[in-house]
Amino acid sequence: MINPQQFFFIAATAYAASGAAAVTRRGRTVTILFLLIGMAFNSIAVGLRYWHAWPMMPMHLGPLALPLCLGIFSLTGGLRSKEKNNRTGLELRLLPALLLLSALPAVFFPKDYYLPFLKSNTIFSHIFFLFSVLGKTCFLIGALKAVVYLHSRKNGRAADQEPGLDKTMHWVIWGFAFWTLSMFSGGIWSYLGWGTPVVWEDAAITITMATWFYYICLLHLHLTGTWNMRKRALFTIIGTFAILGLNCHPDMGPLRLPF
Amino acid sequence: MSSGHGTAKAAVLINAYTWIFDIRMMLQALTKKIWQWLGSIKLTIVILLLLVVDMVIGYWCLDRRTTIFQPLGDVGLFQWTSTYGLHNLLFTAWFFVLLGLLAMLTINTFICTTEKVITLLSRKRSFHLGRFWLRLAPHIMHYAIIVVLAGYLSSYMLADVHPGQTLVPGASLTIPNTNIHIKFSSYEPHYYQGKRLDFFHDWVIDPGAGLTISSSTVQRTAILSYNKPVRYQGYTIILKNFYPKKKGGMSPRVYINLSIRKDPGVVFYFSGMLLFAAGLLIYVFLWVYLKTEGRR
Repeated sequence: MINPQQFFFIAATAYAASGAAAVTRRGRTVTILFLLIGMAFNSIAVGLRYWHAWPMMPMHLGPLALPLCLGIFSLTGGLRSKEKNNRTGLELRLLPALLLLSALPAVFFPKDYYLPFLKSNTIFSHIFFLFSVLGKTCFLIGALKAVVYLHSRKNGRAADQEPGLDKTMHWVIWGFAFWTLSMFSGGIWSYLGWGTPVVWEDAAITITMATWFYYICLLHLHLTGTWNMRKRALFTIIGTFAILGLNCHPDMGPLRLPF
Repeated sequence: MSSGHGTAKAAVLINAYTWIFDIRMMLQALTKKIWQWLGSIKLTIVILLLLVVDMVIGYWCLDRRTTIFQPLGDVGLFQWTSTYGLHNLLFTAWFFVLLGLLAMLTINTFICTTEKVITLLSRKRSFHLGRFWLRLAPHIMHYAIIVVLAGYLSSYMLADVHPGQTLVPGASLTIPNTNIHIKFSSYEPHYYQGKRLDFFHDWVIDPGAGLTISSSTVQRTAILSYNKPVRYQGYTIILKNFYPKKKGGMSPRVYINLSIRKDPGVVFYFSGMLLFAAGLLIYVFLWVYLKTEGRR
């Protein structure tokens, strides 16, 4: 059996090379080229894991799929712009670092191969997984945009030249929509498989709910303008990394001790 | 003399009325303040942040201790609280805090949303139709959350659950206090035939347990499997476990383990989810549409 993990190691190396090219300012083409190589190998790793497990859901696939999704969204979104300005330049430098950071848990964990479980043989488990990865991706890109926004403010660029937190909130709203649909899909799966509204067999349910409440809080802060933009940007960055870091924990598998 | 006495009495009465009036005004002002506080956005933010913290603590309490919480779905909230809940307080306290916070959030959401909806409806004509629905959509989601939470609560408090019902082929059971009979009539499992997962070869991937369910009025047959529960006269029959898991195993004995539930909360929480999804779709659609229109 071909081990998908080997492809992922190559992907992670390519992401690291992309990051190095971005930091040393080797140019946009080199950075994107390494990114694309990483994404290609990442796609193979994800595809193989799914191919092995189908029609069930592969276990602990989240950390493997997140960098891929992050790369696709970033390259097809704001970064395809050829317009050279500091904002896209900074995003392009930060993106490989973010990809590498999100890929790290999948490099080291899970420390074993876990067989899929029979109850994941339903379309709702796949929707649950897909939308949760899409949600996390949007939240991370939102946080990246918030970093860029804060950097712009620090460099004294006026608000009329920058879109404020609009770009951040654009991604946060999409992320929230995906996350909600993922949770509802999980709710339907829970009813079909266990007959209860919440499946207490998996502690990750609480982190999922915490993430949802966190982004409801962020949306309320934004839509009601309760805090100023700087505070909201900081809240987005710190919260996103904290809460999504916690989301990674159950995905590391049972052999994640001593964590 | 009597005239002076009457004037003094009138003065006392006026004083008493003024006093009562003042108290009434004070109470009204206090009620209004409490109402405003309960529906304030600042309270929403505080509750939401507390919920995040509480659920993160909950994760560490629940991680590798899920056995404490698993019976919650079977025995209901009251019984679980008096047994598992109170005897493992160190690991379950977060859950009771969660219930309190969710109750607060429900009150806060209801007050805040109702006030905003009343204002919005009274100013309906001053809005463009798209803008009106864009503003209404979050409130639809707010009410939907209340419906979902009510559904969850009634599910854990009012559900009639009969867990751990085991049947062998040909055997039947009667749901307590009903005349519904469930017979395990056939077993036709589907096996994993692919070669992608060697370990799974010849393992059951779809148990396919045939049930014959009858009551005094209706009889029907149905195939029960994982993720394919059978619904009958308000009851949901869920397959919890089955045996054998593999073709040609050591022992030929066949059995299925069922959980039977009559859950009044299901309709509520699924309706709430549907309403929330509708509100979310309206919001996202109009938000994208109006943004695109604005750019033009």
